[in-house]
Amino acid sequence: MSVFLQPLQTVTVGSGGASSISFSSIPQTYTDLFVEASFRDSNGSSFVNTSISFDSSSNYSNTTLSGNGSGTGSGRTSGSTALQPWFANGSGSTSSTFTNATLYIPNYTSSNYKSIISDMVAENNSSTAYQELAAGLYSSTSAISTINFYAASGYVQYSKFSLYGVLRQGI
Amino acid sequence: MYPIASYTSNSTFNVTFSSIPQNFTHLQLRIFCRVNNGSSTGNIYFNFNTDNGTNYASHELYGNGSSAYSTSSTSTAYPILAYQVAGTGATNNIYSTCIVDILDYTNTNKYKTIRQLTGNDQNGSGVVTLGSGLWQNTSAINGITLLPDGSAFAANSVVSLYGITTA
Repeated sequence: MSVFLQPLQTVTVGSGGASSISFSSIPQTYTDLFVEASFRDSNGSSFVNTSISFDSSSNYSNTTLSGNGSGTGSGRTSGSTALQPWFANGSGSTSSTFTNATLYIPNYTSSNYKSIISDMVAENNSSTAYQELAAGLYSSTSAISTINFYAASGYVQYSKFSLYGVLRQGI
Repeated sequence: MYPIASYTSNSTFNVTFSSIPQNFTHLQLRIFCRVNNGSSTGNIYFNFNTDNGTNYASHELYGNGSSAYSTSSTSTAYPILAYQVAGTGATNNIYSTCIVDILDYTNTNKYKTIRQLTGNDQNGSGVVTLGSGLWQNTSAINGITLLPDGSAFAANSVVSLYGITTA
């Protein structure tokens, strides 16, 4: 068994869809957390935001660099109730196409604020598709024990979210 | 993360992963390369399951040291796996690095989306790319063919495939 990337939890959305996904009771024994996700939203738009939070505070900010197939941009949110580093493929994009995204959270049990990095691609057989890099900040000294993902309308069947623990050498 | 197969050679070579095990959740390619095209840079294209039809799309967000750009290709038989890696016209010993993630590769209800992060710095020039590729087919992936510009990888490139499990 690899201990470099230890599988912890996986949620696969069933036939009824899901408005949100949660990883709870996350073990506090790893160094970092890593999420890998393949998901699609039932929203009628081609692309919609997915929100990510660890609690109900307004302690979230993120900075993004994105491309949409023809142009590039950089954006920022602050004092928000969630991170928004990911676009989901919506029903307006190519059918059966799911966003491919990661989230990396180092030192998630530390008493410092949490710095987060993510990359995401939302493909489409059209000139418009999204690639985005994001830096996030959770301005809280609390350890992270829950991660919530909120869809714009609902995650469709077969969306899959996987959580891993990462151990550094010596643990 | 488990090693599945790896290619390298002290001469030029090509890469096809076939009979990929179906017991992982995700796949990851880790590539250290230059392509055998005689130019300073070149692309690597891909296909799955030997499907060379126009069933693919790819998009890239990239920066070249001075500006950021975004580009696309749709309904193509030549989707980009890695954008503007080092070619054999680059300074000797310069290779590029690329990591490609293919999620849920056995799921027969999804088209397959890849995500690639590629870096190519050549001490005065270079490109860094976050890119994506789409295969409009719900079949499980059992084969991956890499198609580098110049029709081969240069000597001492390394292309490795890993399997990733989930809980």
